[in-house]
Amino acid sequence: MTTGSSIRGLPIEISGLSKHFGDVVAVDDLSFTVEPGRITGFLGPNGSGKTTTLRMLLGLVNPSAGQATIGGKFYRDLPNPSGQVGAVLEATSFHPARRARTHLRMVARAGGHDESRADVVLDLVGLADDALRKVGGFSMGMRQRLELASALIGDPDILILDEPSNGLDPQGIAWLRDFMRYLAGEGRTILVSSHLLAEMAQTIDDAVIVSHGQLKAQGSLEAITSGLAGACMQARSPEADRLCSLLDQEGIRFRRLAQDTVAIDGVTPEHVGPLLATNQIVLYELSNQGADLESIFLELTSGLGFGDVSPSS
Amino acid sequence: MINTIRSELLKMRTMPGVWVTFGLAFPLTILYMTGLFAAQGYPGHTFSSVQGVAHLRQLLGAGYFGITFLAPILGVICITGEYRNKTMTSTFVLTPVRTRVLAAKVGVTSLWCVLLVCLSLVAVFAIGLAWNDALGGSSSQVVDQFGAVVPGLLAATVLLGLFGLGFGTLVQNQVAAILLTIGMTFILEMLLVVLARAIFQYNLNWLPSAASQALAGELARGLGNRHDPALQLLSWWKGGLVMLAWGLIPLALGYFTTFRRDVT
Ligand SMILES: Nc1ncnc2c1ncn2[C@@H]1O[C@H](COP(=O)(O)OP(=O)(O)OP(=O)(O)O)[C@@H](O)[C@H]1O
Ligand SMILES: [Mg+2]
Repeated sequence: MTTGSSIRGLPIEISGLSKHFGDVVAVDDLSFTVEPGRITGFLGPNGSGKTTTLRMLLGLVNPSAGQATIGGKFYRDLPNPSGQVGAVLEATSFHPARRARTHLRMVARAGGHDESRADVVLDLVGLADDALRKVGGFSMGMRQRLELASALIGDPDILILDEPSNGLDPQGIAWLRDFMRYLAGEGRTILVSSHLLAEMAQTIDDAVIVSHGQLKAQGSLEAITSGLAGACMQARSPEADRLCSLLDQEGIRFRRLAQDTVAIDGVTPEHVGPLLATNQIVLYELSNQGADLESIFLELTSGLGFGDVSPSS
Repeated sequence: MINTIRSELLKMRTMPGVWVTFGLAFPLTILYMTGLFAAQGYPGHTFSSVQGVAHLRQLLGAGYFGITFLAPILGVICITGEYRNKTMTSTFVLTPVRTRVLAAKVGVTSLWCVLLVCLSLVAVFAIGLAWNDALGGSSSQVVDQFGAVVPGLLAATVLLGLFGLGFGTLVQNQVAAILLTIGMTFILEMLLVVLARAIFQYNLNWLPSAASQALAGELARGLGNRHDPALQLLSWWKGGLVMLAWGLIPLALGYFTTFRRDVT
């Protein structure tokens, strides 16, 4: 996905990073690396510590242990932070009385960038016509675009996006996906967080999957999915209760998806088919879900792990 | 650092609260001058021109009346505007060295305070002097007091602004910080001064309002103590040091407690 121009950016290194908020362990001894020139999805369910990790990377939150660096330096020690890294964070806000363009001029000034960049980035995110409107009247999607514009003001090599699709409608999400690909096409490094793997699957090259503040998997998306292919079956049966107790007896992991539907994990059709036949369980359907992203994601982040399959690269 | 200051200047310029503060400075100066001319009046004449050094200085420093609470408000707004509008995150992302953010705010608050003084002087020169002339006074006599009044007025205004900035940093909540600084200078201080004298025979002259009056120096001597004529003011430089402490101590406390905290 990142073809064409030369690679821009520096590796992001998270090592032994932890953060406690009182008794809450938000991030727990987390280590991973983001390779330059690629789009890395930072994935995990709500409350898994993504935002906290990204805020530590940007020096907004002080780690309890470990460190997060960009090209070996802390963000605050970068000579030109907003020219090297652009960030779109959750729950940031704008002064409602400020006009979009004024906001961006302010951002440009703070980073020592030319104020004419304001119009360039407004154009990039499709807000050129709203440049003189006050931000207080902006819709959620427009604010998100304005945040992106702010992040791009210094033409940074690295973009850190925390759930950028929050609040966007389907068209907005499609736009964002194209936009990320476009930015990556210029060789930039992008670290983008999300709690939805499926939404990111078509966009990202690599994935870092976290749950409860801990690393569950890291690697290229293909490596993660291929390592797990065939690992999930789905069965539809009028005797789902019997099916479940049988799987329980056999020590096979499963999830009840609906009254008559059961997902069976970590087994192949060759294994499970004969087993069901021997026990005379009526099936309406038995399908190999293979590398179903959402199941993988759920599995990885439910805290159970995949046993012998280790997708960590 | 220059970048941060330039950005902060634009930030302040685009905050409505700042303009409200500025908008009030002009009418308050005029109000004070009106009162001053009225105070010189005698039977048959509601208003009369100012005579004598003290009154000449009062006319030139007429802005000080409003500034004693407008300057702290300006300082408070400069920092609490960020908390109120949740813009601290982007401010810190753009300028990750937080001391730099705070230093820029000190610079910008000072600058706006200087502008506040300029605005009040514009009111005095544009309206006050003409009015004084019309009442038969002498403009040149007023202008002659410039050196005695304006430096002290500037210094007192800037330090009153930092006083607001310090409490804003410490308290973070805009309304609370404004009530605290204004309440302290206007109500609590007067009360404490009277109590200190009545109970301990103590001349409590180091609270913000009295200290800034001392710093305003010749102007303040001309004014007499507004609240309490019996209060002996500090010398101008001691008043300046005390005022600096009233700004810097809360600023430092705020920095080491809330300002360095996690922004989540
Ligand atoms: N300031 C804070 N004080 C206390 N706990 C906090 C604070 N910030 C985050 N947490 C806790 O840390 C954990 C991780 O939160 P975080 O916001 O990093 O998760 P997230 O992965 O970004 O979730 P989401 O997908 O919902 O955005 C949560 O349990 C949260 O309650
Ligand atoms: Mg989050």
